[in-house]
Parts: sequence; structure tokens; C-alpha cells
Amino acid sequence: MSEAVIRPAGDSALLVEFENEISLEVNSRVRALKYTLEQSPFKGMGELVPAYRSLLICYNPLEIREKAAQEEVRSRLGHMDKVSMPKAIVTEIPVCYDKEYAVDLEHIAQLEHKSEEEVIRIHSQSDYFVYMLGFAPGHPYTARFENPFSFKRMENPRLKIPGGSIVVQLALSDIIPFDQPCGWNIIGSTPVLACDYRKQNPFLLQAGQWIHHRPVSKEEYLDIQKQVEAGTYVCRTWEKED
Amino acid sequence: MAIVVLSPGILTSVQDGGRQGYQQYGVSPSGPMDLHAFRTANILAGNDPDEAGLEMTVMGAELTFTAPVLVAITGADMGATLNGKRVAMYRALSVQAGDILKFGFAMKGCRTYLAVRGGIGVEPVMGSRATMLGKNFGGFKGRKLQKDDRLEIRPCTEALAHPETYFAEAEMVPEGVRTLRVIMGPQEDRFTQKGIHTFLNSEYTVGQDFDRQGYRLEGEKIEHTTDSNIISDGVVTGSIQVPGTGLPIVMTAERATVGGYTKIATVITADLPLIGQCKAGDRIRFQEVSVETAQELLSQEADRLEALRRQVEDPTHLPPANTPAPQEAAAPAVEHEYEYTRDVTISINGKSYEVTIQKWKQEQQ
Repeated sequence: MSEAVIRPAGDSALLVEFENEISLEVNSRVRALKYTLEQSPFKGMGELVPAYRSLLICYNPLEIREKAAQEEVRSRLGHMDKVSMPKAIVTEIPVCYDKEYAVDLEHIAQLEHKSEEEVIRIHSQSDYFVYMLGFAPGHPYTARFENPFSFKRMENPRLKIPGGSIVVQLALSDIIPFDQPCGWNIIGSTPVLACDYRKQNPFLLQAGQWIHHRPVSKEEYLDIQKQVEAGTYVCRTWEKED
Repeated sequence: MAIVVLSPGILTSVQDGGRQGYQQYGVSPSGPMDLHAFRTANILAGNDPDEAGLEMTVMGAELTFTAPVLVAITGADMGATLNGKRVAMYRALSVQAGDILKFGFAMKGCRTYLAVRGGIGVEPVMGSRATMLGKNFGGFKGRKLQKDDRLEIRPCTEALAHPETYFAEAEMVPEGVRTLRVIMGPQEDRFTQKGIHTFLNSEYTVGQDFDRQGYRLEGEKIEHTTDSNIISDGVVTGSIQVPGTGLPIVMTAERATVGGYTKIATVITADLPLIGQCKAGDRIRFQEVSVETAQELLSQEADRLEALRRQVEDPTHLPPANTPAPQEAAAPAVEHEYEYTRDVTISINGKSYEVTIQKWKQEQQ
């Protein structure tokens, strides 16, 4: 485990970098530092933006200058290993894999030389880890730690795919919160909203948690969709086993 | 009490001081592109510096009011007129119900701010009234203003006791080559010495692709050591990404929260208003400064705004004797006397807009 590097990111933020790789181990240090700072914030500390291997720490230079902010961060780095982290949360995402919603399922099955049922089973059997959110509000960057699929992006990205699409490549699987261009294959669709501006906290997910895909029928999809529209649907969550 | 949009201009949106606290969920701060001019406008309208107002871009709006209200205009000069008569910027102006406040084309600079006493009363989203145009939320219906939009003005319990003291020295939008001061990094080690030298010693031009998300610059290519990809990390406003093209992109108010390209440097907060007032064709140079210098400059900016606030609240701070009172602040210029009027097509982000440029015969009043 190499030492973290603290770099200025302009005059109002510090970037703390851990090892230069995407792994659960490295990301757990990002989470530990974020949690430590949240538990004991320093004067002038602002937003924390976690990413795969780094934590961006914003601060107000009118309240604390860079050198002092660096000191504060260094002291948190020093004792973050002693902090006991709360257990990670798993959020259940209902996914409909019917042809109507899973426009690329047949194609994926061909690429993987597997049946569609087998592809669905692989996608929904293991949890995916949410490394960070970005790109669009509530958009998770997720991955798992074996290689469930071998296919990559499509050659020609689609100009627009609908919000709610579940897209996959290699070990990655993302929930698309809003209509957007996308070059990944669509394996299914969820009726739940990754970002719902009507809510006090609009976001379904946060960095450092897990998601579990539960296959649902079209009937159940439509039923959940109604509850989502009414603002009454709550995704099932539980604590991740170690 | 409301503002009614008669004509929206090219891109007019409701902005406040920005949306804080949601970057970890992928929500960028948004807010004004020239925070200095924006806050100055609010102070001159007797508001909190971060109160919601309007940001206009290149070609301004035509607005009317349903009730008397105090307003202030700052930023780029769009040749604003009140009922056809030119009005001064950088001071509180009384407008009456039915008055027409019209903005034209910004010959210099890019963005003009209109603050109204009380602020614009749109519903906050995640604690902010700023419009996030790229993601269609916040502000007025999550979009730029359109004809016939009606913006409520938040009622103010007390009138300003002495609006005549609410003025400041007019600030000119910089011209010529702008020097943006930067703090190097966080990924400056991903560039060759030659690349860093290119970045700090050549002149860049704002391309056609400039908006509230970022400014793409054209000029000499910056050399990477290997490639332009990093494992995505957090971005700040002012981050200068250099993707594989070797050409820098300055990330602005509606930027992404994370990004996977090398960032050679970060524009200091005190200089962000300079880029916010740039449009296509404007020229930029970068100059390295220390974090200490940048923070000192930011502290000076905060002091300036605080000094202005105290000054306008001081009843003895009166304009020079020959300055007309705010109610009669219209310039003596003859109505609609232009040196020339010209119809041109301007292009922003690939979209073309037909605008009429009118150059006033009397540029200064």
C-alpha cells in the first residue's frame, strides 16, 4: 500500500490520490477517507467528490488556506485505518429483461454464445459495486469483480437511449438516469428512477454501495412504474455481507 | 410582481450563486459564468450577493415589469434601454409597471447580469435556483427563457431607504488578449516539458464551441508524455482538460463532476469571470501562479465585494452632483440614434442566430 498523494486542484480543492488502479481495495481507502472527513470535518471543508482511486476535497480558502487544509487532510489520512466503517448497502434494482426493454439481449446472447436465459442469470446473480456517480445526476459507474461478459461497446453508438435503460459491457453495468447517447448494449430496463427531482434527496444510489438486479416480468415492471410515478415505490435495501 | 419576457434574446437563464453539495451525485454547481459581475449586480440591487437574477448571453432580452421594482445591470454592455432611452449600468435603477427594459448585442464581452430587488422567485431545486441548462432542471422550468415567460419577483418587505447610494464605478469587460492565471496540475506530470512550455507560452483562441459547460480553445497542441487518459477523477470549475487532440478545454459552471482526461492546470477562482466574458475569437494566455497568490487574490475579491456592500449602504455615499437620480437615470442620448444598424448571423455551438447589431452614436454618456 503506497502513500496517498495530496495535490492542489486549483485554489479551492485538494485531490487525494491513492494507487493508480481500479479495484475494490483502493476504492475502500477513498471511502474510508471520505467517511473519516464526514465524521470529523475541518473548518472550511466543503463538498467531497469520491472517484475510483481519488477523493476531491473542496474547501473555502476564505476560511482555511491550502497548507492548513493539507495538514487537516494528512491527519485524517493518518487515522482513517482505525475508523470502523458502516456496512455497505445493497439496493435492489428491478429489471425487466423482456425483448421490448432489452433490445440487445438477443445480440448479447449471440456474442456470448449463451442462451438469453443464461445471460439474464449471469447479470442478476452477482452484485455490482458503485464506484462513483457522475456524467449525469445520479448516474452510477458500477462494476463487479469477475468477468461476467466478454463483449465491449458497440461500434456505432446510439444517438439516444431511454432513461431507465440498463447497459452493459465487460464487467460494467450502468443505469441510465435520463435519455442520452450511448454506445453500450442494452440488457434491460428498470422502472425505478436513478434521479427523481421531485424528492428531497433525488438520488437512488451513492458511491460505495452495491446494486443487485432482480428480474421482473413486464407486468411487475408496469406495476412498479405506476408506484414510481405516484412516488410510493421504495427499493428494497439490505446490508452487504462481508 | 413579475417580469414578463417580451423577447428572450439568445440565451437568458435564471441563475443564483450556484448549487452546492451534490457533486458526489453528479450534479455540477451551475450558477453564473461571471460571478463577480453577478454578485456586484445583486449588491447594487440591495440583495444578498448570491440572490437569483438573470444571465444573458451575447444578445440580451426584452423585458417588462408588472410592478415597480429596483434593478441593476452589470457585466457586458448590451446597450440597455428603458422605454427606448439608454440607461446606466452599475447602479440601482427604478423601473415602473409597464416599463420596457431592452438589451441588445454585446459588442464586447459575452454575458450581462440583471439583478432585481428581492430576487427571482423560482422554486429551488436541491437548494438552488440556478438553471442547469445542460440537464434541464432548476431555474425557470429547467430551461432558457422564452417569449411570454412570467418570472415572479420575490417580495421585499422593506424598500431601500436611499437607492441613490447604490452605485459603483462601471467596470469594463476586458479586451484584447486575456491572461488567465492558473495553478498547475493536478496532472501536469502527464505532459512533457515541451507541452507545459507550449501551454504557458502560446496564445489560444476561443473556438465556436463555448458554452456554460466549457470553452474549447484552439491553438498550438500540448504534448502529453504518453496519452490523455486517466482513471476518472473529480473536476472543479476552472479545470483545464487536455484530451487526445492536445487542445485545452476550460471547464465552466455546468461542467461534468468527474472526467477521464488529463488536467494540465486549473484557472484560479478570481480569474473565472474573465473566461465567462469570452466568446468565439477571443484570445487567451495562461500564466502560472502559486496557490497562495490565487487564494490572496480571492480574498481581495471578497474584500472588494464587502467594501462595495458597505459603501452602497452608507447614506453619505452619493453620486457626483451632475449624475441624474436613478429614477431619471436615462442617458441624454437621443432615442434610437445609431451609428449603424447591421443584421448578422452569429453562431454559438453550431447553432446560428440572426441578430441585429446596433452601434450607438454616443458610446459613452
